[in-house]
Amino acid sequence: MSNHHDHQSGSHHEHYIIPDAKIIKTLFALLFLTAVTVGLSYVHLGVFNFIVGMIVATIKAFLVASIFMNLSHDDASNSVIFTSGFLFLAIFIGLVAPDFFFRGDVSTAGKSLLLPVKGTSKFKRPWEPTPEIVAHGKAIFQQQCVSCHGDAGQGNGPAAGALVPPPRNFTQDAGWKIGRKPSQIFKTLKEGIPGGAMGSFATIPAEDRWTLSHFVASLGPNVLKDSVEDLKVAGVDPSKDTLGDAEAPSISVRDAMKILASESKKEGEGNLKPGNDGLSDYDRRLDARTFNPNP
Amino acid sequence: MSQYNEMNPAPHHYGHHFESAEHEFTTAKQGMWIFMVTEVLMIGAIFVGYLLMRGRYPEAFHAAHQVLNVKLGALNTIVLIVSSATMVLGVSAAQRGNNKRAINMLMATIACGAIFCVVKYFEYSHKFHEGIFPGGMYHYEGLTIPHVPLFFSFYFVMTGIHAFHVVVGMALIFWTITRIKRGQISKQFFTPVELVGFYWHFVDLVWIYLFPLLYLLG
Repeated sequence: MSNHHDHQSGSHHEHYIIPDAKIIKTLFALLFLTAVTVGLSYVHLGVFNFIVGMIVATIKAFLVASIFMNLSHDDASNSVIFTSGFLFLAIFIGLVAPDFFFRGDVSTAGKSLLLPVKGTSKFKRPWEPTPEIVAHGKAIFQQQCVSCHGDAGQGNGPAAGALVPPPRNFTQDAGWKIGRKPSQIFKTLKEGIPGGAMGSFATIPAEDRWTLSHFVASLGPNVLKDSVEDLKVAGVDPSKDTLGDAEAPSISVRDAMKILASESKKEGEGNLKPGNDGLSDYDRRLDARTFNPNP
Repeated sequence: MSQYNEMNPAPHHYGHHFESAEHEFTTAKQGMWIFMVTEVLMIGAIFVGYLLMRGRYPEAFHAAHQVLNVKLGALNTIVLIVSSATMVLGVSAAQRGNNKRAINMLMATIACGAIFCVVKYFEYSHKFHEGIFPGGMYHYEGLTIPHVPLFFSFYFVMTGIHAFHVVVGMALIFWTITRIKRGQISKQFFTPVELVGFYWHFVDLVWIYLFPLLYLLG
């Protein structure tokens, strides 16, 4: 027999063997923590339910890894290897979640973004319908809404066929999810309707959303009036003549870039020149589908 | 080889490319930890998907999770934790050269795994009975909130992949018992038992996170 196959030479330098008593104690600790987890789920702590649940789970995981899997008595490199997996996970969710949950949100509360976004309507008290306001709303409707709701607002636009639920028919009284009053149409435009294809059009400045709401309301069998309460709920102060800065809308990142880029334009400064706002062709094609406050 | 069995194990010859048996053992162990990191990343990616969708549709996920049976989920948690303990008892018995006890503990671990699978079978068949399936075959009428089926897609994928790992683990433990009976495991060489033990603990670890996330949510 070849002599380097010496089965005794396994330098058995003390391989820690976990005592049975320790195994049983850890078992009871894990069972106890399981009871804690289940018990806590019946207590309403709001967002802390999730955090506490994850902390307890991590304590249990730590017990399993360090005691049952013997990491506490093992070479440190194994602990480093195992922990690195979780570190990568933390990076994964840490970077993806803030992107995912805050897409499209750039607050315009700072002045430079707010001014161009204030709208092109220049109407006083845009929450009260006048023929000029309705006509202004019609222009926006034809840019923004016709693809789904159709030329006459009957819910039969070219893109309507694939949509479930189908787009609202504005000429009818039935089916309006949020309501047919201008303030309710305004709310629908601002927030969208979850669970369907009607998204939020908060990127349209508030004054313009009011004119659009009046046009859409005018398509119905009769025009409903907003009470003072309705207006207040919609964020209007009827004692004033304009909407003021009450609503600083969130705009898409793309629109924010355009506004900031156009403001910083100077002749020959970098790549930005008048007429070149620094966006790609892809962005421009997408822009054709969104309302441009600076046409 | 037939004179070797669990009471009279064969001497172990470590591979020539290693400096010693100890070197072989620590290398195998590190390889197992690296494998477990890949499993962490795989299951972690699905967890991340779940967390993102849960954040986006909180009402749907909250309503859907109440359909799950917390008692059965808690029972399965207890079963797996106990099975982890029997697994460690088996590994330490093998480390001491007590092969008979090792076999008994490993069989107890397989038994716990079988209980887990039976409970899972009841959970899944109840869901199928109600019309709750992953993906396109879903036709549950009990909840009308949109995006509820998404929760169940995640539920089936995550618990399904986990249950698959449980079955594979049971097969691996069975294979380990066979090796002990053939006299291939001794006080000098118990690597397979230890590494299969790691695999089993990892399966338990995943369930420790799955249970609160899916069943208890909060």
